[in-house]
Amino acid sequence: MNSNSGGNDACQSCEFQENLNILRHIYFFSRLPLDTLKVLAYLCEREVFKAGDTIFQQNDDDGQALYIVSGEARLLHHDGSHESEIREYAAGDFIGGLSLTGKMERLFSLEAKTDTVCLILYREKFTKAMDQFPDQAPRIFQAMAERLLTWERNFLNDHAATCEGCIQFVGVSLL
Amino acid sequence: MKRNEQTPIIQRSMFSWVLEGNGKLQALLLLVIVVTVFARVLPLEMQKRVINEAIKLRSTDLLMIYCGIYLGSVLLASGLKYLITLLQTVIAQRVLARMRKQLYQHILTLPLSFFRKTQPGLVVNSLVTELTTAGTFAGMAIAVPVTNVLTLLAFAGYLLWLNWMLALISLTIYPMVLYLVPKLQRRANRANKERVDTGRDMSDKITESVSGIHEIQANGAFAIENRKFEAITDKMERIRLKWTLFKDGVKVTNNLFTNLGPFLIFIVGGYLSMKGQLGLGALVAFLSAQEKLYDPWKEIIQFYQVYQDASVRYERTMSYFDAEPEFALTPEGREPLDLEGRLEVEDLSFVTDDGIRLLEGIHFTLEPGQQLGLVGFSGSGKSTLAQCVGQLHNYSSGSIRLGGQEVAALSKQDMTRNMSFVSQSPFIFDGTIEDNLLYGCAAANTDKDSAGADGLPSLDDRIAILHQTGLFVDVLRFGLNAKLLEEQHRELRDTVVRVRNSFQSSYGKALADHVEFFDPDRYLYYASIADNITFSASNREEFATEALASNRYFLDFLVASDLKRPLMNLGLELARQTVEVLGDLPPEAVFFEQSPLEPQELPDYKELVRKLKSKRLHQLDGATQEKLLDVALRFQPGVHKLVGFPQILEDLILEGRSLFRERIAEEDPEAFKFYDMQAYISSQSILNNILFGRPKTSHPKAQEKINQNIIQLLIEEDLLETIVAIGMQFQVGSKGDRLSGGQRQKLAIARAMLKKSRLMIMDEATSALDNNSQSRIQNLLENRWKGKSTLIAVVHRLDIIKNYDQIMVMKAGKIGEMGKYDDLIAKKGMLYELEFGRK
Repeated sequence: MNSNSGGNDACQSCEFQENLNILRHIYFFSRLPLDTLKVLAYLCEREVFKAGDTIFQQNDDDGQALYIVSGEARLLHHDGSHESEIREYAAGDFIGGLSLTGKMERLFSLEAKTDTVCLILYREKFTKAMDQFPDQAPRIFQAMAERLLTWERNFLNDHAATCEGCIQFVGVSLL
Repeated sequence: MKRNEQTPIIQRSMFSWVLEGNGKLQALLLLVIVVTVFARVLPLEMQKRVINEAIKLRSTDLLMIYCGIYLGSVLLASGLKYLITLLQTVIAQRVLARMRKQLYQHILTLPLSFFRKTQPGLVVNSLVTELTTAGTFAGMAIAVPVTNVLTLLAFAGYLLWLNWMLALISLTIYPMVLYLVPKLQRRANRANKERVDTGRDMSDKITESVSGIHEIQANGAFAIENRKFEAITDKMERIRLKWTLFKDGVKVTNNLFTNLGPFLIFIVGGYLSMKGQLGLGALVAFLSAQEKLYDPWKEIIQFYQVYQDASVRYERTMSYFDAEPEFALTPEGREPLDLEGRLEVEDLSFVTDDGIRLLEGIHFTLEPGQQLGLVGFSGSGKSTLAQCVGQLHNYSSGSIRLGGQEVAALSKQDMTRNMSFVSQSPFIFDGTIEDNLLYGCAAANTDKDSAGADGLPSLDDRIAILHQTGLFVDVLRFGLNAKLLEEQHRELRDTVVRVRNSFQSSYGKALADHVEFFDPDRYLYYASIADNITFSASNREEFATEALASNRYFLDFLVASDLKRPLMNLGLELARQTVEVLGDLPPEAVFFEQSPLEPQELPDYKELVRKLKSKRLHQLDGATQEKLLDVALRFQPGVHKLVGFPQILEDLILEGRSLFRERIAEEDPEAFKFYDMQAYISSQSILNNILFGRPKTSHPKAQEKINQNIIQLLIEEDLLETIVAIGMQFQVGSKGDRLSGGQRQKLAIARAMLKKSRLMIMDEATSALDNNSQSRIQNLLENRWKGKSTLIAVVHRLDIIKNYDQIMVMKAGKIGEMGKYDDLIAKKGMLYELEFGRK
């Protein structure tokens, strides 16, 4: 893992603006008004992870949501004896919005496959900021609920017919 | 114990404070008063003699003598008056301090149930405001009535001696005043009582809104809360109006009657003088003496009012705290007991004041060193049971015996000596880590095995407990972030410089990704612009970083190096962006971590940005320019991302750095100490000194990597303990708010374990910890404390209870089931249901 270079490259002059643009296009934040988004964009931090670095660890409660700005990462699951790769994430993916809303331990690990730049928002800062805009919390929950619903609908459409055992375990949108 | 501490403070009368500990002062005061009264009457006699003797006999000598005596006694009276005020104030402040201390002492011992019903604001108000008048009263209690009654009697006697008839006439007004004033005062007192009570309601209301502000804002319940507050405020307005009307009514009545005095003298005295029955000198003396009756009389009335006000407030305050502690603080007639860790609980029940049964028929025994895990649904009484065993509540019936002794009959000192308690949300007090770590030991002073000279655990023990509870690395970090003063740590500073060199060769490469090393030829993105320009530290106040923007020499340099205008521009942009993004947020530190502005500066810069909308940079006055430069000089491009950092400015600053070095070397070589591998940098932390650079990130994983390397180095150099000892001096802030939730909880556990008590009670003590820390504490309990200390742990996570000697599952205040983990799971009863859910 590497820290933010802090260097004076072309992007430096517009990091805040860039963060703002990124947040505007993430479903989790997309319903928030611009003033709130600006505060959140300001509170985000960038971290550079080197290939092989762990971004977050299974069983930890690291309290962060992250957006992959560049690079690739692997989602891993450890079941006590062996580790299996679930899927890969690439630039443009947003991971861990739910862990911003409250204490939550990771059921998976995320490892940088190549050198990866992440935009990170910590729960502590997110909560403090949202405390200032209490009337906007429902927008976040609404976005979350919609996402959950879409996820399950797609799952039913795409996989329920082909995967026999799966239908037993659906129902996350009924939570 | 002292005499007065035996009578509970709440039952003491206000008068009991007047003499206590102040006997000698009060006696001295009386003596001074008697002399003062004499010094006050003497001028009147001199006045008469000047007119009747000196002027009449045209004797300059007599005139000089009488005037001399007059002047002398006036000076003496003024001096003594000052002395009286001084003595009164000393007594008043001593009494007030004593009252506050004793009431505070009393409040701390009151049962927890009392505090559930009491708002902190009210306790603050009682101790800070309401008692002050009682203190003032104690200062006045003897001095004022005695001085003024004596003065009054002396003047009255003098008047009677001058002319008994006139005297009697002018004294007739006082009985009338004495009849009317108490009547008015009684009504003022009634209003005053209402005022104290309403003040209490008001303080309750304010405290409630402040603590519930999230709920109010989340519900947008502003109108509802405003209505509640307005109702109390309106009531207060009415009561204060009534109180003031009656209080001032007393003054007005008194004034009216005393002003009638001279009127009577003019009529009767004037007539007698015309008839030749009264000398002119005597009439003048009479008039003066009569006038002087007024002052002592006014002071007596004022004293009466203070007395009435003070007794109302005093009684109201004391009656509010009229509750008894549930347990004796110290054992009577014996040393505190050392108890075995055997715990027997029989048929225990606990019923609240409102009749709610929280515990019923609890029955169990723990042998010394056994561990009991308490689980159950929330509201099942787990915490209440833990608190009853820990003597925080007095149980209603049944029995709890610790080491064969009934807990209810033990004193607090017995309990604190044998027990340590970690509560659900432990409280950390303002002070250092060390203060908090030693809090329990200092209170109980029980640690006898490894006690140092002061009876407190040794440094080795303190460090060991930090290790065991997982707080060590945090404290080490605090130590590494501290700055070392030259006069206190000369040797350590030298060692750090030596260590720096071996660090660079052994670990420099491994940390290059996370650390920005101080390099004279490269721009430092994690250092301020000021540091980048000077690349040095100054011991002189005028060159301190915060003073640079207003330092004439430095400003001239900025102009010469073409940096002033671009920096002002940058400052303006920073101020603008910060105000735009953070302008409406509260001044909390967390929001300002990524801005060069401090939270308290925001209002100033908001105003500045507003003004600058219509002005250009060159039109700004000197002070505004300095303000903009100040922000710019603090800018760190690696941390403050609100604005960009143009390449051209970076190049200019690098050029400026070498120009600055040349200039300083030539003009004032002692002013700055340039960063040098061979010298300690006072303005930087120990860590930055070892690194000879700055960490680039606060990301936990990067910090871990830096920590690992630094710890390795410190172990090699045998510096670990020294730095941890410095870290223990870290100030945790009010309520420990400079620590994270996990750090606070670990500190509370460490504080409890350091006591090495026979009984340990942990009420969800690890709920804020991450998994690793939680397992660490659990291992510690199982491996280090099992068999040594009896443990009752309220547990919220079921995966850590497998190795407890006994598990108690509670339901609705009763024991649902109890036994070993495996047995209970095999039984498929309540524990099974809790762990695996209803199947």
